[in-house]
Amino acid sequence: MYPIWEVPNLTAGIILAVIATFHILPSHLSTSAMWFNVYIETKAYKEDKPELLEFIRKYSLLLLVFAYVTGSLSGIGIWYAATVANPRGISGLIHNYVWGWATEWVFFIIEVTGILMVVIVGILAFMLSPGKWIETGNFFDGFFNKTYWSQLLVRTTLMFAIAAVYAIAAAARLKNEEVRKFIIKTASKWGLAGLLLGGTAFFWYLKTIPAAGQELIQTFAPQGLKTGIIASFVLLLFYFIYANLKPLTIRLVTAVLAIAVLFAGIWSTERMREIIRKPYVISQYMYSNQIIGNDIASKNVTSETNLINQKGILAVSPFVPEPLRVVNDANMIEAGKLIARIECLSCHTLDKSGLRPMPQMVERRGFTDAEEMKVFLEGLDGYAYMPPFMGKKKKKNALANYLVSLNR
Amino acid sequence: MEISTMLKTLQDPMGIPFYPIVFQVLMVLTFALHIMFVNFTIGTTFLSLYGYLKGGEFWGRLSKSMVKATTANISMAMLLGVAPLLFVQVVYDPFWYASNALSGAWVIGFIFIMMAAYGLTYVFYLKKDSQRGKGFALTGITALGLFLLAGLIMHALNYQALQPDKWLGWYMKGNAVNTSGTSLQAFQLPRFLHFIIPSFAMTGIFLMLYAWYFQKREDMDQGYLDRVGVIGAKMAFLFTALQAVIGFWWLLSLPGEFNFISNPIFMSGAGLGLVLLALLYKAQNAPLKYAVPAVTGAFLTILGMSYAREALRMKYAGRFGYSIFDYKLNIDWGSTVLFLGTFVMGLIIIAYLLSIAYKSGRTAGLYDATPLMHKWGRASIVLLLMWIVIVAGLGIIISVRNYL
Repeated sequence: MYPIWEVPNLTAGIILAVIATFHILPSHLSTSAMWFNVYIETKAYKEDKPELLEFIRKYSLLLLVFAYVTGSLSGIGIWYAATVANPRGISGLIHNYVWGWATEWVFFIIEVTGILMVVIVGILAFMLSPGKWIETGNFFDGFFNKTYWSQLLVRTTLMFAIAAVYAIAAAARLKNEEVRKFIIKTASKWGLAGLLLGGTAFFWYLKTIPAAGQELIQTFAPQGLKTGIIASFVLLLFYFIYANLKPLTIRLVTAVLAIAVLFAGIWSTERMREIIRKPYVISQYMYSNQIIGNDIASKNVTSETNLINQKGILAVSPFVPEPLRVVNDANMIEAGKLIARIECLSCHTLDKSGLRPMPQMVERRGFTDAEEMKVFLEGLDGYAYMPPFMGKKKKKNALANYLVSLNR
Repeated sequence: MEISTMLKTLQDPMGIPFYPIVFQVLMVLTFALHIMFVNFTIGTTFLSLYGYLKGGEFWGRLSKSMVKATTANISMAMLLGVAPLLFVQVVYDPFWYASNALSGAWVIGFIFIMMAAYGLTYVFYLKKDSQRGKGFALTGITALGLFLLAGLIMHALNYQALQPDKWLGWYMKGNAVNTSGTSLQAFQLPRFLHFIIPSFAMTGIFLMLYAWYFQKREDMDQGYLDRVGVIGAKMAFLFTALQAVIGFWWLLSLPGEFNFISNPIFMSGAGLGLVLLALLYKAQNAPLKYAVPAVTGAFLTILGMSYAREALRMKYAGRFGYSIFDYKLNIDWGSTVLFLGTFVMGLIIIAYLLSIAYKSGRTAGLYDATPLMHKWGRASIVLLLMWIVIVAGLGIIISVRNYL
């Protein structure tokens, strides 16, 4: 366990989620917009319409500054955020997939952006469904897993919808009405195609999700996220149809709103992906709180749960003040708080409000007695959504006492 | 907990998928390339600002070229920075992650600082032509300040990483832990300066190279290029000399037990630096003639010094019994071959892209590729297609075998 970085109310995980969601826009855009540009440029030359090139110039500048600059930096940003939000998680990925990332880096350098997705999706899909890797520890078994192809298809088709939303925004302020009409009409067709193909692929993707994840979608996924996915899909569908029918009525404000809807849709799907991975950060290997929950025999890695249950989390973690290593009546609350930070902070803020705030949850359930709280913590063992509590009895007692103290 | 035990505990239990020396060599090589472009970025930003504020025909023109170069240099610095960042996390994970986690807010801040700096550079670049007066230089000055701040964050994170004996003290006071991540804990002036001062030396060499490169273009003003070359050579020499002085300052401030002055890797790096200094001294009379030897010498010096930096890190880590050569191995040949194959392919393609850029930039008007270049271009595309076919084929075979 590394030192903990606590972001008031939000948790470090949300910082990671915001950067990651944002990154999807420019990264997908830089690939798909290239195809769109090539198409428009070919048209401009073939049909001798030099006025189309004005749009290309505008769109390219937007792409260069927005997609390229923020795309590459936010991509690195995901990595930085993961480093401070879940260092052991990113470390586990890197120690398996370093050559995958290094391969991706080569494509980054030669600027063949289309391949970047082929590589990174393997690692993302691995976190969700590591498949045979659990037995073999083999790079490619983990990489080409059950959700690989479906995720790749969803992302490669939907990126055209992203390109279309941006192309419409870039075209919305063009002075030449003919060009504006042509670009918006063309883009809306690309958008519709991307959205419909992507939507279809999404159903396939849902089917490929492992059974445990399917169950989480049914039982635990917040309705808000489901609505977010469906609503943004439907809104964008209508937007593209409308843009196709009445291209000249689209103003910059509408186009920017469409970008916001797109963002909401991506946010919902990405949060959903995180939820169906629970209680793990790397499915069937590492819990969201960075504790290794299963053996990976082929890599000679053993689960840490036994060790923690025998010795206690405060005894085995390096970054623990010496006086707290042994829990007693005097340091009970402090020790409990540190245990909460280590085992719970990945998903719950300890502040009064924010992301799944512990004080509110304790209050809502009306826990005032540490014994009741302990029973609840024991119950987590059978709760599919969260990691079990790991640690000795005394530590559980400390955590329970701390949690109850939040409700005073 | 003993510090050596702590470091062992923190190491990733997965082990590493290939021999540590390979990661080390790649880390040092890519770091050398990265820091060179970081230096170009800082130096060209500075020079474009200086030129803008000084005004006049010569400086105005140079300023314009420099800010254009900055936008390219910064993307290169970023692209090349990804690799050493990846490899350091493979072999020095306990150090890197602990240091980052202690300063989480700064780590995230780094990204936004870079975005702002990059954005401002573009504003300065795109809007500068319209004669906006000196006040507009504020965009560039802010960009430069932010670049330096980003450098300072990276310096602090790396320097914190080298001092595991202080981590606990930074993290906790009594029974309380400080999880805010809002402090940078370690700073060493000579070390920081040793990474920043070369910006001006390297930009001097960059100017020499620029003048040398464009001298073949008939549409370029030769008088302008000569002056650029002279200024470049002067900058390169003076700042390399200053860099040597700062190098000694840093050397003297290192823990005596390292006896770093007698380290053979350091000695080679320092030796290369002195050769470079002599070369730059000679270059004062004929900057254009010495441009290529100077950049070659500079890169070799940076490479040598980057290895010396790694040798120094080994000394720091060695204090606590940590060596990357003891890292648990879980050799994975498949992915190693995937990377090495892709890497070789990448080198062939990048060499093609660079030669096209080199040749077309030197031609006034349209560049007509030679048959050899055509062949090389086609070969690059074939290689890419082969890569896709092989990887997709592999993917299909594995998916069918595992899931059908």
